[in-house]
Amino acid sequence: MKRRQAIKIVTLGALAASATEGIVTRVAEGCAWAPGDYRLAFFSEEDNRLVDELMEIIIPADAHSPGAHAAQVSLFADMMISTSHAAEQRQWRQGIQAMRDEASRSSAAQALAKAAASESHPEADLDRFFVALKRMTVDGYYTSEIGIHQDLNYQGNTYLSAFPGCDHAEHE
Amino acid sequence: MRTYDVCVIGSGAAGGVMAKELCEGGAEVIMLEAGEEVPPSRFLSHKWPYELPYRGLRDEKQAPFYPKDISAVRYQDTDSGIGVDRVRVLGGRTLHWNAVTLRYAPSDLRERSLAGVEEDWPLSYEELEPWYEHIEQTIGVCGQDDHLEILPAGRHYLPPLPWRCSERILARVGKSMGVPVIPVRKAVLTVPYDQRPPCHYCGHCMDGCDVSSIFTTPDCMLPKARATGRFTLRQNAVAREILTDSSGRAQAVSFIDRTTRREEQVRARVFAVCCATIESARLLLNSKSPQHPDGLGNSNGVVGHYLHGHIGGGVSIYLDELAGTKPVNQDGATDHVYVPRYNQLSGKRDYAGGWGIQVNFDSYMFPDQAQHLAGYGAAFKAKVRRLQPGYLFLGTFCKALSSPGNYVTVDSHQTDAYGIPIPVIHYRLGENDRALWRDQTANVQELAARLRGTVFSNLESGPGGFASHEVGTIRMGNDPRTSALNGFCQSREVKNLFVTDGSAFTTSSEKNPTLTIMALSARAADYIKRQRKLGAL
Repeated sequence: MKRRQAIKIVTLGALAASATEGIVTRVAEGCAWAPGDYRLAFFSEEDNRLVDELMEIIIPADAHSPGAHAAQVSLFADMMISTSHAAEQRQWRQGIQAMRDEASRSSAAQALAKAAASESHPEADLDRFFVALKRMTVDGYYTSEIGIHQDLNYQGNTYLSAFPGCDHAEHE
Repeated sequence: MRTYDVCVIGSGAAGGVMAKELCEGGAEVIMLEAGEEVPPSRFLSHKWPYELPYRGLRDEKQAPFYPKDISAVRYQDTDSGIGVDRVRVLGGRTLHWNAVTLRYAPSDLRERSLAGVEEDWPLSYEELEPWYEHIEQTIGVCGQDDHLEILPAGRHYLPPLPWRCSERILARVGKSMGVPVIPVRKAVLTVPYDQRPPCHYCGHCMDGCDVSSIFTTPDCMLPKARATGRFTLRQNAVAREILTDSSGRAQAVSFIDRTTRREEQVRARVFAVCCATIESARLLLNSKSPQHPDGLGNSNGVVGHYLHGHIGGGVSIYLDELAGTKPVNQDGATDHVYVPRYNQLSGKRDYAGGWGIQVNFDSYMFPDQAQHLAGYGAAFKAKVRRLQPGYLFLGTFCKALSSPGNYVTVDSHQTDAYGIPIPVIHYRLGENDRALWRDQTANVQELAARLRGTVFSNLESGPGGFASHEVGTIRMGNDPRTSALNGFCQSREVKNLFVTDGSAFTTSSEKNPTLTIMALSARAADYIKRQRKLGAL
């Protein structure tokens, strides 16, 4: 178990063992993933369109910042799932099909609303797929340039000569 | 074959101190390290997530510290959430830590006498104190003397880290509840020191510090050892076993070179085992001979037993006071404040021990609340953004009791890539641990509630362990029947064998162990120097 994971257990209590064992590891560590020339490895084009649409509903563009579509989170998802465990790949295959079936009867937005109805206590496969879909959207969006810089306006990861501590009287 | 004065096995906090002190004391030292150097040029500390293959979500930044061929471990009979650290790199955990450096209190070394549990250490705080001081001055520690009996202070600290808004709010609320909040003491430079520059506050302490502002063995100890001209380093040297002569005295280390896969030996007059709690026990248990049929220095069967370490949990609070404020750079040097143990200040308890709280050691870049907030859509997105400036993280570190029934052993039927039996972990929480956990949970939940904000906590789901703070598997003690080492970390049965890492701890406290590991190692090195002069080693 990596130390960071050990601490994440302290922080989140979620990981029991290495979640990455058995996952295909890319050789070129440090090379940036470049969505511009990315080729789908797991989703079909049709899958990708649906996932992209669902993800944009989960984290949409608003007046403040672009959403999951602009951040190309569905391509990130494709990359992550294509290098993941068979069980996760199976969940996505089945989940996408179920969402497609549901959307064909109503709409993508209504299919998502149905899947999300039991988010806090997921029991059915569709409930669990929503949790996975949302988690992937969150992970992809908030690790993207758009999520970090435009949405959160994150100010760190830089070199400071001094750390500006709090001097607000109201926080004393 | 050349015979070195001392062979130090392991290059982490303990090994670095041992090598530096002994080289400066005139000894010819060879250090074996199973991992290899990961220089700053290979650190990915400042990379943005979108510059990494998996956005950093598969631990890409820390993967170089965990080579798979030498980090195997098996869990057997363990409570959920228990995990041991398998970092294998030149510098060990000093390359990959938050650098919190806390002294044990005098009472922490006297649990049997004062609380009626466990055993007393075979040395007193007064005997350890000069070595705490020596280490603090060598490595550079920021902080201050807060005049706390439970957390003794040194005499020389670098200026403390400035506090964030969330930390001043924590101190204000804590004060109203009798919960102390003090500047953290950590081996991070706030001013230039020992020819190293001060911190640049990027928040990447755990990913490798690219400018040596945090203490590491490779940056701070090995250069001093090398400067003596008496230091030799063998990286990629995986120790298989310590070999003994016909009298049972340690004579050589058999190791595998990972690059050639060939077995080699190195001979020395003294051996300092500094591989950390799991690996040191594994090495001794794998060192069987006619003189030591149950492992080196293990005729009483103690080696491997009494495994323990911190158990802990976390609470994320998004403070109402700071919600929606303009984002500012909060990275800093990870934690800037610390909540020392306080349960001893009020009332009688039905358990022994206490907890401390490390604050804000998690990254500010990723909004963890997005993984916990319900819902989706524009309102969800706006709420994630609104909460982020108010992030305050409390990580609790609780004392766990040492117990002979918790242990690491080796499995001769399951070996690593080099044919060396891997460690196997057995660990169950005890009743005292659970009672302490319950009280801690209630206290920290109340603190979180008083802070006012959106709270996500995992305390309710039970403790995790050990936060890389495993200790106790080759312990010191007063009783030869229940300990493997004397008060100088010297094996009772093998006089030229010393073990100075966390495995030597008799008991644990709620405090982070590294400063005590380094102090013990420095004290043992001094003892070795004096014994060598007397011709006793």
